[in-house]
Amino acid sequence: MGKIKKKYTEGASRTYITRNRAIKRLQVSLADFRRLCILKGIYPVEPRSRKKANRGSTKPTTFYYSKDIQQLLNEPLIAKFREHKVFLRKLQHALGKDDLTRAKTLESNRPQYNLDHLVIERYPTFADALRDLDDALCMVFLFSTMPVVRRVNKDSIEECKRLAAEFMHYVIQSHSLRKVFLSIKGIYYQADIHGQSITWIVPYQFSQKLPRDVDFKVMATFLQFYRTLLGFVNYRLFTSSNFAYPPKIDQALEDNAAGLGSLKIESSRLEDLINSAKIIESGDESAAQASEISLDMKKQLNTLDKKIQSIVSTANGSSTAAPEYGSIDANEGDDAESDEETQIENLLFGKQVFFLSREVPRYSLEFVIRAFGGRVGWDRSSGGGSPYTENDNAITIQIADRPTQGHQFLDRKYVQPQWVYDCINARRMLSINDYLVGQALPPHLSPFVEYAEGDYVPKAAANLAAAAGFEGEVTNLDPEDRDKSESENEDAEDVEGESADEGTDSDVSEDEDTKAEKQYQQQLLAERSGMSFAEYQQQKQEDSKAKKSSANQKNKNTRKRTKAEIEEEERQKIAISMLSKKKRKIVNRTQAEAQKRAKDANALKARSSQITTANKSGKKAR
Amino acid sequence: MAVKNKVASKNKRSLANRDEPAEKPDVFPTAQGIDVPSEPEQSSDEDDDVEEGDFDEILKEMAEDQGFSSADEEIENENELDDDDSEGEDDNDGNDSEIHSSDIEGASSEEGEEADSEDIESDNDDISPLERTNSRLTDGQETAVDSDDASEAEAKDEDEEDEEEGEDEDEASKLANEGMEKLTIRDFGSDLSGWKEYRKTLPQIDAGYASDSSTEEPANTIGSVPIEWYEDYSHIGYDLDGKRIMRPATADELDKFLDNMDNPDVFRTARDEINQKDVKLSEEEIDIIRRIHGGDIPDANYNPYEDTVEWFTSQTMVTPLSGAMPSKRGFIPSKWEHKRIMKIVRAIRQGRITRSKPKSTKPKYYDVWEKAEQLGEKIKTLEGSARRPRLPAPRAALPAHEESYHPPPEYLPTEKEKEQWENQIQDSNYRKRSFLPQDFGSLRAVPGYDRFIQERFQRCLDLYLAPRMMKKTTNLNAEELIPRLPDPRDLRPFPSAEALMYVGHTGRVRSISVDPTGLWLLSGSDDGTVRMWELVTGRCSGMWDLKEVVYMVSWNPNPDMCMFAAAVGGRVVLVTPTGICDDQKQLVSEEFVRAGFTNTGNDDEDDGSLPVSWDMPTSAEQASGIRVSVAMHKTVKSVAWHRRGDYMASLTAEEGGSSVLIHQVGKHKSQRPFRKLKGAVQAIKFHPTRPWFLVTTQRYVRIYNLMQQMLIKTLQPGVKWISSVDVHPQGDNVIVGSYDKKLSWFDLDLSVKPYKSIRYHKQAIRQVQFSRRFPLFATVSDDGTIQVYHGMVYQDLNQNPLIVPLKILRGHEIRNSLGVLDCVFHPIQPWLLSSGADGTIRLWT
Repeated sequence: MGKIKKKYTEGASRTYITRNRAIKRLQVSLADFRRLCILKGIYPVEPRSRKKANRGSTKPTTFYYSKDIQQLLNEPLIAKFREHKVFLRKLQHALGKDDLTRAKTLESNRPQYNLDHLVIERYPTFADALRDLDDALCMVFLFSTMPVVRRVNKDSIEECKRLAAEFMHYVIQSHSLRKVFLSIKGIYYQADIHGQSITWIVPYQFSQKLPRDVDFKVMATFLQFYRTLLGFVNYRLFTSSNFAYPPKIDQALEDNAAGLGSLKIESSRLEDLINSAKIIESGDESAAQASEISLDMKKQLNTLDKKIQSIVSTANGSSTAAPEYGSIDANEGDDAESDEETQIENLLFGKQVFFLSREVPRYSLEFVIRAFGGRVGWDRSSGGGSPYTENDNAITIQIADRPTQGHQFLDRKYVQPQWVYDCINARRMLSINDYLVGQALPPHLSPFVEYAEGDYVPKAAANLAAAAGFEGEVTNLDPEDRDKSESENEDAEDVEGESADEGTDSDVSEDEDTKAEKQYQQQLLAERSGMSFAEYQQQKQEDSKAKKSSANQKNKNTRKRTKAEIEEEERQKIAISMLSKKKRKIVNRTQAEAQKRAKDANALKARSSQITTANKSGKKAR
Repeated sequence: MAVKNKVASKNKRSLANRDEPAEKPDVFPTAQGIDVPSEPEQSSDEDDDVEEGDFDEILKEMAEDQGFSSADEEIENENELDDDDSEGEDDNDGNDSEIHSSDIEGASSEEGEEADSEDIESDNDDISPLERTNSRLTDGQETAVDSDDASEAEAKDEDEEDEEEGEDEDEASKLANEGMEKLTIRDFGSDLSGWKEYRKTLPQIDAGYASDSSTEEPANTIGSVPIEWYEDYSHIGYDLDGKRIMRPATADELDKFLDNMDNPDVFRTARDEINQKDVKLSEEEIDIIRRIHGGDIPDANYNPYEDTVEWFTSQTMVTPLSGAMPSKRGFIPSKWEHKRIMKIVRAIRQGRITRSKPKSTKPKYYDVWEKAEQLGEKIKTLEGSARRPRLPAPRAALPAHEESYHPPPEYLPTEKEKEQWENQIQDSNYRKRSFLPQDFGSLRAVPGYDRFIQERFQRCLDLYLAPRMMKKTTNLNAEELIPRLPDPRDLRPFPSAEALMYVGHTGRVRSISVDPTGLWLLSGSDDGTVRMWELVTGRCSGMWDLKEVVYMVSWNPNPDMCMFAAAVGGRVVLVTPTGICDDQKQLVSEEFVRAGFTNTGNDDEDDGSLPVSWDMPTSAEQASGIRVSVAMHKTVKSVAWHRRGDYMASLTAEEGGSSVLIHQVGKHKSQRPFRKLKGAVQAIKFHPTRPWFLVTTQRYVRIYNLMQQMLIKTLQPGVKWISSVDVHPQGDNVIVGSYDKKLSWFDLDLSVKPYKSIRYHKQAIRQVQFSRRFPLFATVSDDGTIQVYHGMVYQDLNQNPLIVPLKILRGHEIRNSLGVLDCVFHPIQPWLLSSGADGTIRLWT
């Protein structure tokens, strides 16, 4: 007979460890344990059987993987935490004894620790780090707008501001912004960086109310790690696109609330050149080296200085001309520059010069416009450093959010800020007519929604999609549709007369509305069937011909068919009864979900149709 | 200098003294001790002024010995100086020889106009306060001067003496004049003559030139007694030699009047009662009076707002000046400091104390991934094992249209939804979303989101507190999961539609049975009748009214016989119906049934123990075809025939072994196969091919071998309450229906657990039946439906039986929550017959 096995030596009770046991093993306090978990990214897990995992007890506890705790045992941070605790004790002691000199020396030797190793541990590759950047960005952007109060550390807020600005600069320079969404919570941005789509939210810049029920210690711990992570990511992003890191801050502009413009992005080569020059200049003290330098070298040096100056001056000059903040590769010739310019011109706002009135959120608009190649100027009251003044002739579009505009320049268009965001989400320049100042705006839709089969597609989305790629392609419309559109035309004619332009406009738009909806649905269908839209159209035409011939038959068949359908339904029910319990549950659940989705979609559809009819009747009444 | 009444002056003095500390508190802020120098003056002041100054001096000396150098002294001196000056000035009023310049010594400022108002009587009263003051002052002196010097003590003693005998004071002061050392105390008590003698020995006082009273005689010697006491005398007091001092002559009223008229200074003249003379007040004195009258400080020269003299400076000096010699200690190098320094030096030499490292100039951020990616270095990571990979935190859900600041109007909540949302608890799962969709119209109207930080915080909590688990979500299409069943149309024939309805019963039809030829249908009902129907036409061809509930009817399966059994109340009746088969068959059946009556005598072994009696039915019954009635103690619930038709099993509604009995019909014999049976038996069945017998209890189906008399198998369908059981005609498969809606298919070769459990019915299953001929089986249920299945059993043992649901037959009505009660397949055709609680029997073809 074999040896009797001891209980709890293998299996779930070894795989998992409860929190209390983990703390005991690590010999740390609960607060330290939590901090460690946050920094190391160790999370509780749910064992399959709580009873087995907790040695037969069913008490409510949290479980961790024993392996994770094992790894924590070797964590140098634990020692650092202990050091810090000892330091605090010493400091307290010194202060208690009024030994201020000792306290001062202690303070100057405050034990420091960094989290560099955790970054590489948690994210072995750069792609991993990018994948998990969402939360970090949200947090850093939140804290960059936080007021400096006692509960929030001032230094960390400063750093957050800097990190956020750096990241935004990278997004601007790499033109990697994809989607923007103005939500009631804040502004969502989605960028596509190195193939990873990264989404983050930035609160509207109002003073944050610091709630009482939030433990800022926890948030600070998270922020500590996120700052480190974002710092390294920024470094990598900057260096990988040949920018010097950290970018220099133009203090004068910074003091003048220039915002994004206060960071000087410089090509790393230029930076290196300047650095080397500085080193050589200051290297006079190393006389031995200097003596070795030959006359030629000296000549070269002399010329180098001039070269650098000229380079810097050109860089500055170009940055003033086109406010691209010096993203110029100094050593490459004018070709590269012009290439870049053309590249920028190909971007969405590449040919536009914007001016932001003071009531629009500059912190967001400047970012998104520049990310899409546009050039921006702003009112002096919303910060300094604007490259354009309001009466600059280069300005093509002015963004204003006031119901009326005092003085209007004739050579530029005045739009509401939503236009910029909608253009970005639609990836094309939308017609300005709907977004003119003082007009009721079309609804702003989330670009993150993907429509599945049977989902409700808002009218505006359908319009956009239709307008995007299928203008003029569709010629054939069903006779029914024509009738409809005609009748609508008549409706519109009734309304006409207020102003000729608007009337025709609305006519067309309404016409297009119905068309667009149909088209969008067709487009979806085409996508589902896996062919191009044109092919789909052809096939549909053929189908419709065939259908027309057999239309009468169809009408007869409908009744029988319903019976058959009922039969089919019954058969399905029977078949479901044959399934195992597990599968049956899954089927039931999926069916229920589908039903619910359909119900929601129908509710939305009903409501929208209700609203449109109400509007129409209102119009007619008028 | 003004002349004044001495008593008054004394009073004034005492008053002034009393006031004095109040007047100069800022000068001597600290203590009475410093007051000392001024006080003796007053105590001496009481008497002859000649000695006064001297005594003062003594006291001053004493004070100086103590280390005080008082300011009072200076003031005193000043006063004296003033007095001297005034003395010079006062020459003009020389009308009275008794004027004493010394009288006003030191008191010039204090004397006031009160002198006018004060009368002599009041002076009398004032003595005692004076004494009190004196004693108080001496006490003060005592406290101040209380020290090691013996002379002080003596002085004090002397002071006490002053108190005791007022007359001694002159002398005492004289003694004091000679010096404190010479001072001796002589107690004369009341011996006045002794004192006089002693006095004569004392040297004559020669008031020197410097003395204030050098040229003057004492004006008043009576002391401070009321002058009225001397009204009747021509003298006032006595001089030193004991001679009377005559009262100065007083002018009569007329003279007074004339004087008043003549004298231009009459308004500034006051009467000195004690000295009995008029005093002309000087300009200064009038000024003083005026000042007192006006509530000012009497002394014109007194400056109440003098500059503060900082005796103890309020400013701390950086390097306080000290007259102390620098200590020797300061010049000798400290041993302990040296030790401490050496300790540090040693520590530095040994390397225990090192210079703090220079701040690292390494940039804060660098390329952490460079090593891992380019150099291919192995870096410790938190990847987790292959079995348990690290679970990344789920990403936050992306916002939908309703989160927009200006959503399409259909996404906005209605009033009702809004109210509902507001009534739901925050952070609860009831809320579909954490926010309420809102339309702000334009971007400038959008406010800050007040729960932003909370939501970020919640996300943080989720990241580090929420347990993570990998959940495999089936993204399968529901259609993919549903099995591809063969088309029922390929599995024909099976009953699919109602063909015929047999109507006649008035109660529930509990049981039906089809005869082996397939022509006749029997039905037993709650209305107490058994009916026989022509199956194809639906004609009722026979009826037996048995008066009691018919639980079961069952044809004898032997095709050679025409006979059936019916369980009616507490008995089983065996019936041979007439007119439905040929005579031969009829005869054989009747013979078979009745055979038992002839050989009853043979077997009487255990009849008594069994609750069964084989009876001859009544003649009326016999006429209707009932041949034998087997009576039992309890209600018979079920009857089952053996396939050969000679054995019949019955089930009665009782617990225990005797509920199941097996009867040999040919011999009219009954036996009890089970001594004990666990639980209530639900159904019984003979196995179609083997000598097995199935007994179904509430939870299990037990299969017994009757030949070997042993239990073969216990089937466990895992249901709560079995209702019915049937065995496949080939004998290897069993289906079990249960009241908890489940149908279980057992393969006897495989397991005691069901091969397949199917649950379709919404209500309890009442009956399950295999078809004898076709691969079909059916279940009937209280929900009024009949489910027909295709149940193919293959000869190949490796192939699992194929079970396909074919058809749901609906038609029976539900009465009292009872639907279809029984069903039976046609023995030849693919037809199904069913009976229900609605009293109908239906044929499904």
